[in-house]
Amino acid sequence: MSRADNIAFVLTLFFLLSMPTSLLAEDTVCIECHSGQEERLAAPVAAWRTSIHAANGISCHDCHGGDPTSFAMAMNPENGFLGTPGYEEVPDFCGRCHVGVAKEYMAGAHGKALENGGAQCVVCHGNHAVKKASLDLINEETCTQCHSYERAALIKLSLSETDVMVNKVDKNLERLFRQGIAVDEMKGQLFQQRNRFHSIFHGVDVNLVRQETSGVQGELGKINEQIAAIDVSLNKRKMWGGMTVGLLFFGGIVSMLIRSTYHDEEGH
Amino acid sequence: MKKIIIDFFDSRLGIRDILEQNLTKYLLPRNINVWYTLGAVLITLFMIQVATGILLLIYYVPNPEEAFQSVERIMNEVPFGWLMRTLHAVGANVIIIALLLHMLSVMFMASYKKPRELTWVSGFVILNLAFGLCLTGYLLPWSQLSFWATTVATDAAGAIPVVGDELVRFMRGGSMVNEATLGRFFALHVMGMPLLLGGLIGFHLFCVRRSGVSRPPFGAEYESRDYPDHFEHEEHPGGIPFFPNYVIKDSAVICFFLAFFLAIVFFAPNLFFPESAFEPADPFVTPPHIKPEWYFLWAYQTLKIFPSEIIGLGIQGLFMTLLALLPFIDRGPERRPFQRPLFMTCYVLGILLFVAISIWGHYS
Repeated sequence: MSRADNIAFVLTLFFLLSMPTSLLAEDTVCIECHSGQEERLAAPVAAWRTSIHAANGISCHDCHGGDPTSFAMAMNPENGFLGTPGYEEVPDFCGRCHVGVAKEYMAGAHGKALENGGAQCVVCHGNHAVKKASLDLINEETCTQCHSYERAALIKLSLSETDVMVNKVDKNLERLFRQGIAVDEMKGQLFQQRNRFHSIFHGVDVNLVRQETSGVQGELGKINEQIAAIDVSLNKRKMWGGMTVGLLFFGGIVSMLIRSTYHDEEGH
Repeated sequence: MKKIIIDFFDSRLGIRDILEQNLTKYLLPRNINVWYTLGAVLITLFMIQVATGILLLIYYVPNPEEAFQSVERIMNEVPFGWLMRTLHAVGANVIIIALLLHMLSVMFMASYKKPRELTWVSGFVILNLAFGLCLTGYLLPWSQLSFWATTVATDAAGAIPVVGDELVRFMRGGSMVNEATLGRFFALHVMGMPLLLGGLIGFHLFCVRRSGVSRPPFGAEYESRDYPDHFEHEEHPGGIPFFPNYVIKDSAVICFFLAFFLAIVFFAPNLFFPESAFEPADPFVTPPHIKPEWYFLWAYQTLKIFPSEIIGLGIQGLFMTLLALLPFIDRGPERRPFQRPLFMTCYVLGILLFVAISIWGHYS
């Protein structure tokens, strides 16, 4: 091959990109072993893959403990393996990470009724197929498993406006992020307010929910102001950009018109 | 004053003669068409890349700890940094579009044929160097996309028998994409490849000027001709002057192309960039759905079609070789497209195949 071909050949090799590979959360002995087990033991893996935990790279050992790198030691209590929690142990089990939510929950009606079979985390959120926290989890079907829906409906109504705000801010930050705007700080603020918001309704106290959501809305408003300021700047860019594109287009047309004046002298 | 300055240089360097010979008395074929302006468009685009690249160099930090943050700083804090960076990144894609159009128009009009073989070969190398610049530039922001695209792209070279593994280590400067990879890609991107590209563009233009502009193979007056074995500059008596007659046409197309380019920069700046291009590189988390840039999709999908990577690589190598040697394979004097049915069939099918495989690669 010529030098040009060699360069072309080698460069071509650079361009070959791969199939997507699995996330690290998948690369544990827990997943590997349980995937090949009988249905009852394999089911949690399939359920986990649909969960918000899987989407965020939270794997089996993050909740159940143990050593995810060793088949022999994976389920050894000495390596921190916790196994499956009992019904009443679930709030503490989840509360190791979701600290604020667990605190609000324990102080609320559900937490106080835990010993008497009060709803705990997995009743609403599911266990391995953990659902993303959203207002949809407050629904008649789930709530009426234990009690009537009226009170839950009132709480949901009080939360819905803030929920819309949270989602709108989230979408706007995502839009700005996709344009290369640094949104880490605002994302941090939103994360904080979202956690606060999610904590509020675990207390299942309508008055407290109404009081606290106004505070969350105030903080979300501040983030919205920052987003609005960035949008003003982005719109200015578009305005100048539009004018530049228009001028270039105009320049192109004028050049073509000048070019046409040469046609006579060229004898076209 | 102007006359004094011109007289000063003219009496010493004969610049009036140079300007006349290369501008007003430099005659082009009377039926020259709009496709011939793509060279001027490309020079303009390359100049924009050089200018924006130099400005980016002021703030970019080429090490893994600071590269991503430095690009973020350019986008958010440096005055007009966002404009320089977006022009540079989108410009790379627009240059590839212009290069492909230029190559396809040359193929359609068979302008690569004798005596312009060297012009074609140098143009082909320029196209591949542009691909190389895109690839090396891809790593520099040290984003998730940069890191994993480079990891997988360099990994593919491992399929080459015997030297594959060593070649991968050589390109990466180690077993994984790391600081050494960033260092060598940075050096290639800002110095090695641009120098080579500058020299090749100079040679390409020299070839165009020495051989003379090829006459478009259209119209009743056009006749195919055999070229002698000795050097002959193709003259176009009675043609149109390069300046101002054709330069104004160049200007028009440059304006339209820049309008298209800036429309993307201002209204769809992330058109060519997936989400992973905005996240810092994390060697421990592989993002899903990594796809190459649109102009490498054909190569990506070709590798997946065949059961063995080496077959895919071989076919790509064969295709690139055929393309590079085109003037030495297609040697007949006929240049009129409709008098070359076999070539035109291959040409159209080749374009359709490229587009189809690229779309397949995008959705696969």
